[in-house]
Amino acid sequence: MNTVASAPSLDTPAQRGAPLLEARALAFYRQDEAVFGPLDFSLTASELMLIEGDNGSGKTTLMRILTGLLRPEEGELFWRGERLTWDRCSGEVVFLGHQLGLKAELSARENLAFTIGLHGHRNQSGIEQALTQVGLSGLEDEPVRKLSAGQKKRVALARLLLVPAILWLLDEPYANLDRAGIELVDVLLEAHIAHGGSALVTSHGAVQFHGGEPQRIHLHD
Amino acid sequence: MIETRRPGLAHACAAVLRRDLTLAWRLRGDMVLPVLYALIVTSLFPFALGPENALLRRIAGGVVLVTILLAMLLAMDAMFRSDIEDGSLEQLMLAPQPLAVMLGMKILAHWLATALPLIVVAPLLAGMLHLPATVIPVLLAALLLATPLLSLLGGILVALTAGTRRSGMLLALMLLPLCVPVVIFAAGALAAAQEGLPWIAPIAWLGAALVLAVVLAPLACAAALRIALDS
Amino acid sequence: MANWIPLWLHKLSSPPVFYRFAGSLRPWAITLAVLLGVIALYGGLVLAPSDYQQGNDYRIIFIHVPCAWMSLFIYGVMGVAAFIALVWRIKLAEVIAMASAPIGAAFTFITLVTGSLWGERMWGTWWTWDARLTSELVLLFLYLGVIALYHSFEDRRQGARTAAFLALIGIINVPIVHFSVNWWNTLHQGSTIRLLGPSTIATSMLWPLLTMMAATKLYYIASLFGRARVDLLTLESGKDWVRQIAQNEVRG
Repeated sequence: MNTVASAPSLDTPAQRGAPLLEARALAFYRQDEAVFGPLDFSLTASELMLIEGDNGSGKTTLMRILTGLLRPEEGELFWRGERLTWDRCSGEVVFLGHQLGLKAELSARENLAFTIGLHGHRNQSGIEQALTQVGLSGLEDEPVRKLSAGQKKRVALARLLLVPAILWLLDEPYANLDRAGIELVDVLLEAHIAHGGSALVTSHGAVQFHGGEPQRIHLHD
Repeated sequence: MIETRRPGLAHACAAVLRRDLTLAWRLRGDMVLPVLYALIVTSLFPFALGPENALLRRIAGGVVLVTILLAMLLAMDAMFRSDIEDGSLEQLMLAPQPLAVMLGMKILAHWLATALPLIVVAPLLAGMLHLPATVIPVLLAALLLATPLLSLLGGILVALTAGTRRSGMLLALMLLPLCVPVVIFAAGALAAAQEGLPWIAPIAWLGAALVLAVVLAPLACAAALRIALDS
Repeated sequence: MANWIPLWLHKLSSPPVFYRFAGSLRPWAITLAVLLGVIALYGGLVLAPSDYQQGNDYRIIFIHVPCAWMSLFIYGVMGVAAFIALVWRIKLAEVIAMASAPIGAAFTFITLVTGSLWGERMWGTWWTWDARLTSELVLLFLYLGVIALYHSFEDRRQGARTAAFLALIGIINVPIVHFSVNWWNTLHQGSTIRLLGPSTIATSMLWPLLTMMAATKLYYIASLFGRARVDLLTLESGKDWVRQIAQNEVRG
């Protein structure tokens, strides 16, 4: 049942020359009113990009476009130098949105087992380990519906640790988290970047990032 | 260098099926409702038409079919609803697996959880209306082919309404034209069997339609979902 | 050589160009539709001889048949527009598909009502489960489904694309329904009286029928253009060309 395919490793740099993700003149309109754009940016391996902006400035819309769930009205997206399509980047990208994608009736362990079933997992990580790392040891078998909002978010963060994705798309990862949770996100991000991964993070607050100065994009109304 | 392990298609299918069936089992109260609904509707017919055996026997096949169809319609809206609300569907769409196959598995799980219990009680419903025992195997055959067909067609329509607010009536309106042929052939087989005529032709038509739908409906469902969630 | 066709179409599919084009064509279409309609009615109701079997009752075909024809024709147009809208994401195609749906539904409804009126005179009942009437009823539900789905979305373009997908499913469904309803009808051996027998139609009856068909087509064009223009204005309300039209209206 388990086939081991040669997935791109996190340690090898992206194909030389081409950045991991590149946007050219990306724009989106709703009812012919510009939500954002035109935007140009590029993201290489081991790089963090912060997307800042007030509520309603189009951060979530931009995120949904980057996942491929939404088509941009104008402009183009490239993944490793090739035009981004539905299936090109899937498996290399993991998305954490406002809706966490957790089933309330299942336990944290069952939810993560499902994620692994679809996405596969890094060989060195296990569900137990990931849950411990996000501070949920002892709660593995509680139904997610009984967890607090912050704990649910931590379950979703554990998914980042398990899934073998090079690019993390995190939409408001700090929402609902306490101080320790916010630090946890920062630690996870730093480790990911240090291992050659990249991340795009939306936020309307300050991000404490110690692994070098991140790129910043500011969206405004 | 970190080794990664990618699941094969069969593994991913099993994961979807296992999760949806676990969920259905955890919420088994919801599973009972369509069965209860079918029982209530069927038992209303004798009250409305009178307990005359000959009349009931004549309408039994059609009533059981339509009742089961309505009961399925009742549960259909829930096929992707919770997945849309909690973001699971987005995760499914972003998974490195063919979306159509994954949705096919979801439809299969939904069929197992809602239609199969209805098929199990179908002989009871038929018995309440005095359908001759010789026709019951034909009824079961017709249901085993017609209900997956309805689930698959319904899956496309539910995907189309994914971007809208909850709307059961809309689903009924959209499903009606699609299920007319299914009802005609299923009921045609029953009527033929009841009159002692050969009933294999309409059953064969249903089977052919099911084969076609198994291949095409998940693809249409995936396309519909991409269109409906593109906002 | 045929390169001018896509170019011409491409130009026409730009909303402001189509808006002007439709605006200049619409008065002609509506005038001609009314004119031909009156001529056809005069020919059908006055000039054509009464049928030796049905008397004057048959005269409803001068409305019934062209409407039935239009109900299918408009579904075809809607299907083609829906296909173009989904594959090439052309805004005008979405608008045409969605503006066609209510007109098609209206023609289908008229077909059902006139068919039922005729049925009352011919068979003494308002409704029979005749294969054609039943197919027409299913067609009405298909139209209503498309319209309802379109209006259940807040974003109109998204609604249009989703409803376009449903319209395409309907296109596949129409022949299946027709086939199955025919099969069902022979199975139950109901009253299979044909609305239009294979009888040869006299020329005096044929020309009003054909004229009425032309009139309904023109009416469809006029109505479609009117609706499409309004929809385009709403969809493009942020664009410059709409602003200019609004300013001209205020000044004029």
